[in-house]
Formats: sequence, structure tokens, C-alpha cells
Amino acid sequence: MWATNLKVVGIVLGTLALYTLIANKIPQVQSEVPQTLTLGANVTPEQLVAAGEKVFNGIGGCTTCHGLGTRAPNLLTDEKGTGPIGARCGKREAGKSCKQYLYESLDNPTAYVVTGYQPIMPVMTKQLSPAQVWSVIAFLESQGGTVDVTASDIPATSSTSTTSTTAGGGGGGGSGGFAGGSADPKAIIQAAGCLACHKLDGQGQVIAPDLTHVGSRRDAESIRKKILDPASSIAKGYEKLAGIMPKTFGTMMNAAQLEALVQYLGAHK
Amino acid sequence: MTATPAVRRYAAHPFWQAVAIMVGAYVVVVWVVPLLPGSAIVPKSVVLQYMVTVLVGVLIYVSDNEERWARFKEPIVAVLVEPRLRVARAALLVVVTALVGLIAYGQVATTVAAPPNLRSIHPAPPAEITFRGRSITLTGLENPLRAHPDSLAVYLAEGKSVYYRNCLPCHGDHLDGQGHFASGFNPLPANFQDNGTIAQLTESFVFWRVAKGGPGLPREGTPWNSAMPKWEDFLTEREIWAVILFLYDQTGWTPRTWEKTGEVGRGKGEGS
Amino acid sequence: MTADVLVLLQAAADSSHAYGEFPLIGARAAVWIAAEVHLMFAAFVLGVPMFAVVAEAIGIFGKDQRYDRLAKEFTRLLLVAYSATAIWGAVLVFILATLWAKPWSYLTAVFGPSMWAYAALFFCESFTLYLYYYGWDRWKYGRPKWGHWTLGLLLNLWGTIVMFIANSWLTYMMTPPRDITPTTDPATIKLWHAIANATWMPINVHRLIANVVFGGAIVAAYASYRFLAAQTDEERAHYDWMGYVGNFIAISALIVLPFAGYWLGREIYQYDQSMGITMMGGFMSWLWVIQAFLIAVLFLTGNYYLWIGMGRIPGAERFRPYTKYLLIVLVLGAIVWGTPHTMIADSKELAAMGGSHHPFLGALGVMSAKNTAVNLMILTTFLSFLLYRRANTRPVVPWAKGGTMIQAAMFALAAGVVLFYGIRGYFVEAIVRIGFSVYQVLAVLGCILFVTVIDVLMGRGAQSLGAIQWGKMPPRSQYALFVLAVTFTWLMGLMGFARSGIRQYWHVWQVVQDTSKYAATPALGYASKMISLCVLIFLTLVAFVFWLGGLAEKSTFVAPGDREGGGGGRHVGH
Repeated sequence: MWATNLKVVGIVLGTLALYTLIANKIPQVQSEVPQTLTLGANVTPEQLVAAGEKVFNGIGGCTTCHGLGTRAPNLLTDEKGTGPIGARCGKREAGKSCKQYLYESLDNPTAYVVTGYQPIMPVMTKQLSPAQVWSVIAFLESQGGTVDVTASDIPATSSTSTTSTTAGGGGGGGSGGFAGGSADPKAIIQAAGCLACHKLDGQGQVIAPDLTHVGSRRDAESIRKKILDPASSIAKGYEKLAGIMPKTFGTMMNAAQLEALVQYLGAHK
Repeated sequence: MTATPAVRRYAAHPFWQAVAIMVGAYVVVVWVVPLLPGSAIVPKSVVLQYMVTVLVGVLIYVSDNEERWARFKEPIVAVLVEPRLRVARAALLVVVTALVGLIAYGQVATTVAAPPNLRSIHPAPPAEITFRGRSITLTGLENPLRAHPDSLAVYLAEGKSVYYRNCLPCHGDHLDGQGHFASGFNPLPANFQDNGTIAQLTESFVFWRVAKGGPGLPREGTPWNSAMPKWEDFLTEREIWAVILFLYDQTGWTPRTWEKTGEVGRGKGEGS
Repeated sequence: MTADVLVLLQAAADSSHAYGEFPLIGARAAVWIAAEVHLMFAAFVLGVPMFAVVAEAIGIFGKDQRYDRLAKEFTRLLLVAYSATAIWGAVLVFILATLWAKPWSYLTAVFGPSMWAYAALFFCESFTLYLYYYGWDRWKYGRPKWGHWTLGLLLNLWGTIVMFIANSWLTYMMTPPRDITPTTDPATIKLWHAIANATWMPINVHRLIANVVFGGAIVAAYASYRFLAAQTDEERAHYDWMGYVGNFIAISALIVLPFAGYWLGREIYQYDQSMGITMMGGFMSWLWVIQAFLIAVLFLTGNYYLWIGMGRIPGAERFRPYTKYLLIVLVLGAIVWGTPHTMIADSKELAAMGGSHHPFLGALGVMSAKNTAVNLMILTTFLSFLLYRRANTRPVVPWAKGGTMIQAAMFALAAGVVLFYGIRGYFVEAIVRIGFSVYQVLAVLGCILFVTVIDVLMGRGAQSLGAIQWGKMPPRSQYALFVLAVTFTWLMGLMGFARSGIRQYWHVWQVVQDTSKYAATPALGYASKMISLCVLIFLTLVAFVFWLGGLAEKSTFVAPGDREGGGGGRHVGH
């Protein structure tokens, strides 16, 4: 009797295992969920903060500089004894609330450059949607302060940010690339913040390899590859910094800009 | 010819019949099918699938009858227990062990070839796309140029020149995906002459693929290594429609049409 | 404007505690298991009464006590399975209310009144079932027997309405009427408008048939287990026969199931083209290759069981030599049926094939070839049944020879029509090709119908070549029944995944979006593990239910003297 029972169990499990195995052998594709940030009138501060944290760590690319303590001020941890950003933002500029200060820092980063740092931050209102910008502000406020961003901020400012985009000459909803789609390599380098890490023609920082003679070390193909996929090759002596260079530049530039940049750098022999 | 009775005995034995069927099927799938005109090698995954199906069929054949099943098991049982077949038994043990080892090795050994991947050739189109900032509803969309049958010749000429200026290097002179650059690409450029490409699709689907190219493929069309450019950056809407017109005219295919509501109602009744 | 309101609604939904989380396995797996196991039990308790009633009717008309006992044995299994269904239903409701609050509150807002009706009908169904089972021996003869049978009918009626109501909820989630948008206040949606959505009827029909298939398969598995465990020849004979009946019902209903599925698929395409393409050609396309594999297993195993069964029929040796040709057709059919259009290949093979479509075999991967293959497989299976049915008789009517010729001609004609349209399908445009499958189906159904009629007429007063030796079956035939049951159950889980998965990141298609972290439809590998798990849970519980059934009453099989003809001699003539 037990032999029969075992055989039956064996048949059942065997059949199940076979089907599961086949289904796992074929290529696995998961469906795609569109990533849209929809924040409505009843959005809670917690939701804004949660959304902002995602933007901060992900698409915003903020962690590239903020957090190292060398290129930009620490935001999430203590910065020179003043506490995290939420605790200090209201005291930075007289007459400006924390919220106002943070928004302006994102909209016009060069306005309030903290002493000791370079003006390298890109204009975030051009790269992110208003909802994303405000959720980042909410997230930053939550770091040691109180969140006072509400849904009413978002539509009110969306028109402002649209105007600033138009003024920048982009108009394509952010798909035009850095510096309003300009193909001038210097403008691209400025807008992309390359000099925050690299040195070029005597300007910029020395965190990453000096690009002044990059053309003699790498050909155009290699430079292009390095920009599109920074992890593909790491310069000697900089192995420890592998992974610091953002992987998003390829998607933030249009093709003409990338080519202009590659040619420009390639000519630096 | 003295062996004839022995051969006949083997041929009548279910075990050897089963072996012969398996070997025969393998030969057909792996060597005969590629020899057929216009054919090519059969991918390993498909060979495996066919062989498993045949194996199941063979097992059913040998076991659906008590007598045949008993005879089929004879040689197997004999090899496993009979003292006179000790050598065969030992050999079998070695062969099976080696085979398992080889298969395991084949599974884990690293090769230079990219792993096989699946891309859905005809992924689900969106209902609506944005073409140069303007939204176009794809569902139910027809080629607007077909609304003017009188000017069709003009449109065709226009489409032809668009094709020769833009598409030729990859999709080729014969529209068969054998352009000069074709061999450098993976996936290969679409072969419009094949009945599996534009012949299966509505013109709005083709419009979507031309306008958005490789970068516009949805997730199921991944990996995004298609070299097809995003033609909306280079061609106008009218040029795209014209070139689509040219593709269908030149290949002789007719585009898939949208279902008419009335017709469906009828089909529904029959289907149930 | 609309987009703004949508955003507002979305946010309102988000701000409440829309989703819960389940420890260890996560919310999605919890909902999945609860829904799937509940559904499997529900299918079982809806399918079994259908043929309990049919068996009882055959028993009454044919004055054959065997069928009456069979019906009663089915119903006994039903009692415990029924409470298991209710328990899993409750589990599902609690899990939905706690973990899936957002879609749940939306659906209750739309469907509230139908949920009350559902509960009321469930109540009716339970008590009808109790009356039906416990009144069995009391109303056994004469006029009360008819009353009892009416109870059985009523049981089916309640069950079917209950299922229709539940179907309306889930079909609404797939295909809400087009005038309902994200901004529609759920309270303003007319109940009937929501119920009578595009896929409601196709799903109703599809599930009704599938439940019969499923019930048959599970009963056959039950019988095969009792067969294997049987101590006496009489017991073996009884359960061999029961397994045969279960399998017969399952396979017969399976033959019409693809047509219902075809109707459902059409409605989905008709409702939303992109949903249809997602299902058939998009990221779910591989699911259909797996489904093809499972269906091939079903056909091959079903026929295998019949062919082994011929070993217990005197006179069947006349047809023995032909089964291998049927097998060849089935294997070739399975090969075509399973040939993928887009093949998995490495880069070298891709280069040789000139793309992921094989230049020669690719022709087997398209709709025309598959329709042709599956229709021929259905015809072949039907032919197997016919041979089996005729195995121990020799027709005596004067036109027997002519009748057989006509039957053969009909098979040839149907196969010809199927092949003709299959091949023509390559040369016409898609719209026309879709229409062709209707002709193929009609040819096959027509053939089945007419050949059966001729066969029944021809079998009148036929000379018997000896009684069927029920119980004279090798154990492997019974294991085949297990494979069938597992495959049916797994296939049900897979189709459930397909139906539910094509909604992608929507709870209600393009009305209520899934904003949980489980919004993405998982890949097939993950789904297959979940399906296997659900099947395992279900089968374990069913085994327990059967064991309980065995505890209550030893078995309904009776001493040989009580049964006319000693369990053989009569043909199971459906």
C-alpha cells in the first residue's frame, strides 16, 4: 500500500516538477509598469517623502555628489556641525523659509553656493518634473526638519518651471539633452557637471582622471563607451572610485551632443 | 545476406524499433530538415522539444499493449540482471555516468557565445503614441494616404525615394533584410518579403515601429539592441506613411486590416 | 482636465491604506494562493454535481443501479469539498479585504448588491446539497426519486448562478464597459451594466465546460487511487469503471473547450487589440507554448489510457494494429502544435536562420498550422473513442458496411476540410484566416456529431464479442489518470494566470491602476512555481477530503450479486 502511495506522490510531484522546470527554462519576461509620479491634492507628506527618496537615490542622480563630502555638502548627514539639511535649510538665507531655499537651490543652483564648493550643480528643475522636484524637497526637509510641502505647491509651480524650461531653449520636455540641447562641448561639460570630478584644461577637481590629455590615452570609441557605460573600463589608479561616475549621462544627452563631446575630448591629446 | 533473419528479428522487436525511431527522428530533425530547400539548421531548443515529443510517443507505443511492453522490457531487464551480459552492464554504467557528466559540463561550461535570448518580434503596440509632440491614436488607424487613390502613384514614388535614401543600407534592394550593413546587426533587419513581418501587421503597427525604432521597443521587445533608428527624428509623418505604402506595394502584401464590428458579431455567433 | 481628476482620484486611493503586506510570502503570493485554491475547489464542486445529476438520470432511465451508486459516491466527495470551498472563499475575502483594500473597496462599491445575492445563493446551494445527499436513500424509488433528481438539478442551478455572479466581478476587472473611466464614481455604475461586460458570457461558458472537465479528471484520479488500493477484484472492477467514466467525461468536454476559449480570445481582441496582442504575441506569448505542451500531454495521455483499456475488451484486438497510426498523427500534431514561432536560439543559430523565425519550420509556428494540428488531434481522439466503443461489438444491422463507409468518408471529409483551410490560410490575409478556423471547427464538430449518430444507430442490437473485463488494467494506466488530473489542474492555474495577467498593472483595466509594489505581472518562471504550489495545496487537501470520504463510509461498491451482469457486459453508452 505504501509503495502505491509513494508512487502516486512521485507521479504528482514529478509532473509538477516537469512543468515548473519547463516554464523556468524558457526566457523570463516580466511585464512593465510605467513609472509615473502622480501626486494629487490629498497626497500625504509621507508619500511625498517616499517619492522624493526614490528620486534622490535614483533618477535625480543627487548621490553622485551629495554624500561624498568633497564635491558637494552632505545633505543626509551632518555637514560641518550644522546637522543634516532639514535642520539647517531654514537658517541658510535670511528671510527665506526652508522650502523656498531648497526650491531655489534646485531651480538656480548657482545662487547659493556653499563656501568651499564649486558651482557645479545642474539646474534640477530642467531635469525633473515639478512633482519630482517637490517630492525631493519634501524628502530633504524630512532629514532633521519638518515637512511643509503640500500638494498645493506642485501645480502652483509647474507653470514657473515650464517657463524656465522654455527660456533655456529646450522645449522638448527634457529630452533635448543638457544645456538646452546645445552641441557646444564646453556648454555640455558645464551643464553635465563633468568638472565636479574631472580636471580639464586646468579647471575642475582631481577626484577622477584628468581629461586634459585624454585623447592620447583613449580613442573616440573608447571615450564614447566610457561615457555611455562608465563601468566598462576603469583608469589605472582609480579602481577604488569605480561606480562613482553616473551611468545616466548617455540618456541625458542627445546623440549630437554625445558625438560633439566625444570629438572634443578626443582632440585633447 | 545471411544476417537477414537476425535483422528481421531485431526489426520486429519493440525495443529496437523504439531505438530506431529515436535515431531516425534525430537524423530527420538535425540533418534532413536543414537540407530542404530554403531551410536552415534547427535550433537546439527546438530539437530537444521535438525529441522529447517523439520519445513520449515511442513510450506510449511500447507500453499501450501488455505483450509489447513485456517484450520491450526484456533487453533492459536482461542487461541489468543477466550474468552473461556483465560487460554490457559495466559499459552501460560507464556510458551513463559519462553522459551525465558531459551534460552537466555542457550546462556549466562558459562559452563566448551570447546566451540565447527571446525577443518578441511583434510586441504589443501602445494604443497611442506621441509623434513629434503630437499624439496619434494607433488603434483603428489606417494609412491616410490611401484615402486618395488618385495620387497613389505620386505617393509610391515618394515612398520609393524615401526607402532608397534611408532604408536601403539595412533592409536591402529586395526589401528582404539583406542590405549591405545587414550582416553586422543582431537582430537582423526585418525581411519584408517574409510572410511573417509586414504581411501580419496593420499599417499603424508598421508606422509605430518605423517612427519609434529600436529605442521605442517595449520591455517584451528587449534586449534593446535593435539598430533601427527612431525615424520620427528624421522623417515627416507623410514620408513614413509613403514609405509604408511603398513597402506593401513592392512586396505585394496587403496590410492586416482592422476588424469590422459587424463581422465580428457574426463570427461570435459561430464561434460559440 | 481628465488627467487632473485622475491624479486626484489616484491620490485619494493612495492616501488610504490601499495595500497590506503578508509576512514571509508577500501579499501577491497570499492573494494568488487564496484565489487559485478557492477557484480549484469551486470548479470541483461545480463540476461534480453536473455529472452526478447526469449519472443519476442515466441510472433512472437505464434502470442501472451502478450509475445511481456512482452518482451518490460523487456527491459524498462533494460534501467535504464543499466546505473546503467555503473555507477558502472566506480566506480569499479576508485576504482581499486586508491586503488588497484598494481594488476590493472599488469592487464592493460597484458590485455590492450582487455580493449579497451571492451569499444568499450560497446558502441555498448548501442546503440543497445536504438535502440531495442525505435524502438519497430516503427518496430512492418511484416518484420521490424524480423529486430527488430535481434537487440535483436545483443544486446545479444555484451553483451555476453563483459562478456567473463571481465571474462578473473578475470579467469586469478585465473588460469594464468602455464608458466607464477612472473618473466614473463607482456608486453611479449600474449593476447590470457592469455585470454584462464583454467577456462575461464567454468566461461563463468557458468555465462551465472547464468545470466538467476538471470534475471528471479529479473523479478519475480518485477512482484510480481506489483501484490501486483495492483488495478484491470486484472493487477493482468498480473503480476501473468509475475511472473510465470520469476520464470519458473529462476528455469529451475537453474537446469542446478550445471553441469556448476561441470565443473568449476573440472577445478580448475585440475589446482591446493591445490587450489581445499582449496575451497572444506580447510578453505572454511563451505561455501559449507551455499551454500547447500541456494540451499535447492531455491528448496523448487520454488516448494512451484508452488504448491500454482496449486490453480488457475482447474483440479489441481487431483494432489494435490501427492505434499506432493514430499515435503517429497525434505525435506529429503535438510537434506542430508545440513548434514556437519565435524560437529560442543562440547567435550562431539566429544567423543561420536569418532571424528568430525558422525559414522552414517557422511555417508550423503560425495560427493556420496550429489550428490544423489541434483539429486533427481532436478528430484522432474521437476516432480512438469510436474504436474503443465498438471494440467488443459487431454491428448486425444490414447497412453496417455502408454505415462504416459513410463514417470513414466523414472522417476523410472533415480531415480534408481542416487541411484545405489550414493550407489556404497561408495565402490569405489575417482577417480571412481567422474566419477559416470557424470552418475547420464546424467540420470537426459536424463530423463528431454525425458519426456518433450513425454509430448509435448502427450499434443497435449489435452482437457482443464478450464482456468488458473491468479491473483487468495494468497500474500504469491508472498513473496516466493521475498525470491527467495534475495536468488539468496545472493548466487551470496557468490559464488563470493568463487571464489575470493580461490586465498587467491594472486592477480594473484602464480604470483602477495597481499602485502596489506588485503591479508588474511576474515572469512565467515565478508564475509556474506559484501554480505548482497551488496545485500541490489543492491536491493535498483533496486527498485529505477523499480520505475523509473513505472514513465515513467504506465504499459504495457493492457485492457482485447485487449488480446486474457482474460489473461488465454492458457498454458505457454515453
